Amino acid sequence: MKGQSLLQRTTLTIIAGAVTLIALFPLLWVIIAGFKEKTEVLSTPFRFFPKQWMLTNYTDILGDLAFLKSMGVTFGGAILFAVLSLLVNSTAAYSFARLEFRFKGLLWLYVIMTMFIPGMAILLTSFIVVDRMGMLDTFAVLVLPGVASAGHMFFIRQFYLNIPLALEEAALIDGADRLRIFSSIFLPMSFPVFVIVGIGSYLAFWNSFIWPTMTITNPDLFQIMQYLYNFRSERATELGMLMAGSALAAFPTIVLFLIFQKYIISGIKISGLK
Amino acid sequence: MGKKNFRLDNKTAYILLSPIVILLTIFVVIPFIYAIRVSFYDWSFYQDSEFVGFRNFYMVLTDRLFGEAVWVGLKFALMVVPATLVLAFLFANVVKNIGSKLSGFVKTSIYIPTIISGIVASVIFVFIYDYMGGLANYVIGLFGYEPKAWLAEVATALPSIAAPAVWLGFGLTTLIMLAGLHDIPESYYEAANLEGAGPFKKMVYITIPLMRNVILYLLVTGFIAQVSQFELSLVMTNGGPLSETTTPNLYILNHFRNDVMVGNSIAASLLLFVVLGSVSALIFKVLNSEKAIDG
Repeated sequence: MKGQSLLQRTTLTIIAGAVTLIALFPLLWVIIAGFKEKTEVLSTPFRFFPKQWMLTNYTDILGDLAFLKSMGVTFGGAILFAVLSLLVNSTAAYSFARLEFRFKGLLWLYVIMTMFIPGMAILLTSFIVVDRMGMLDTFAVLVLPGVASAGHMFFIRQFYLNIPLALEEAALIDGADRLRIFSSIFLPMSFPVFVIVGIGSYLAFWNSFIWPTMTITNPDLFQIMQYLYNFRSERATELGMLMAGSALAAFPTIVLFLIFQKYIISGIKISGLK
Repeated sequence: MGKKNFRLDNKTAYILLSPIVILLTIFVVIPFIYAIRVSFYDWSFYQDSEFVGFRNFYMVLTDRLFGEAVWVGLKFALMVVPATLVLAFLFANVVKNIGSKLSGFVKTSIYIPTIISGIVASVIFVFIYDYMGGLANYVIGLFGYEPKAWLAEVATALPSIAAPAVWLGFGLTTLIMLAGLHDIPESYYEAANLEGAGPFKKMVYITIPLMRNVILYLLVTGFIAQVSQFELSLVMTNGGPLSETTTPNLYILNHFRNDVMVGNSIAASLLLFVVLGSVSALIFKVLNSEKAIDG
């Protein structure tokens, strides 16, 4: 900021504002287009704002029980997924960061190796595995396969390595066991890193599309992205409802992000790259 | 490291590690080993499998459509990654120099598209490219051009799908670049000011060399992510017109959905895995060798 002229500062501010607006534009447009009348949605000539603000598209899609159900099922699944993912990956991260045990190096290698296996290479054989286990068309098939994540475990472990050892020394002298130290010292300090990993897991679940379309045929378990995709092919003329539905499908994610944005933005660090 | 604090504790460690190890084994390792096995078999859901050696790999490598898909994936990544990086780099420099109140707002806002799903982004952009009422034709109409069928024409289909990919990646890339910029000590620029260096010189001699590793990281991860992209083309064009937007993963996915024989497509996905690994190794090498030049 120092040494900038007023002209420079104004120019930068205008550029920043304009780019931000362009970045948000597609989203704003679909939200606002949802308020148009059904026949006006894609009428020519192009208009940004509706002639008349109508709630019909939003009330229609919200009146669709299948839409509400898939929003609810996906949201519940995403929360459960995030919680399980934090539990499984943070306990593993703690072990690798603080405990000494036989075969540590070997187990580390085994877990980290999975980070480099691309999803598409195992998509079909994963399907065969869950099929043999009788998991198709269950809630478990959506949640369980992605819970363990070497990437998330690694991220949490980096955080734990930076917690000073002095903090747990007193507890160790008092004879507290490792589980106790984990739950009373590490867990309370984990909030910032848990927010980042938790939101990451939530997003992966909420946005997932190809796995649900392969494993779920029961409409009661349809995921929201699956619902939107089906809606688009089955009710191709209901454009306004599709726009409103897309806007609403992005809504919970954006709200969650806005609540936790401070942690997420400051969590974008590049240490280790230099 | 305080080694004395690392006490041997097999039992606790194994209890804490068993969930991740068991889950990864069932849902990643077993499918991976299984995939490698299947790629050597003439395998389908409906018949006994038969060992065929490398035939699946041979068939994939000689399949003209797979070659085209790889080419489409490369073209797509070459459109998306450089555009995203250049835009993000320029914009990160802008955001670094604006007031902190405004920059907080800007950072939050540009991050929002990053969390939007590929499906929702596809739906939005299909509307933007709509022939009659879409924004894209309205904008080119202002400049006196005839409307285009963006997603149906061979020349425009792939760039039209690249645009939402840039949109989705721009925010996070900018924020990572910005973190990199903030890591450059201000004293370097002050020294350059004393020497009378202009903004362009400072960028070429200070900013870009010191950002090299960040840029390298974004280049490699971006490249792999974009070559693997399939949701956008699946929803927006389903790979068409012809197979102009069929990316490698969409090719593989289409084979999963339509073929009775799957050994082929699994072989394709394993090949892709190897190719992507080598390409990112290559990018790493090229950029690392420049290190030797500026010492």
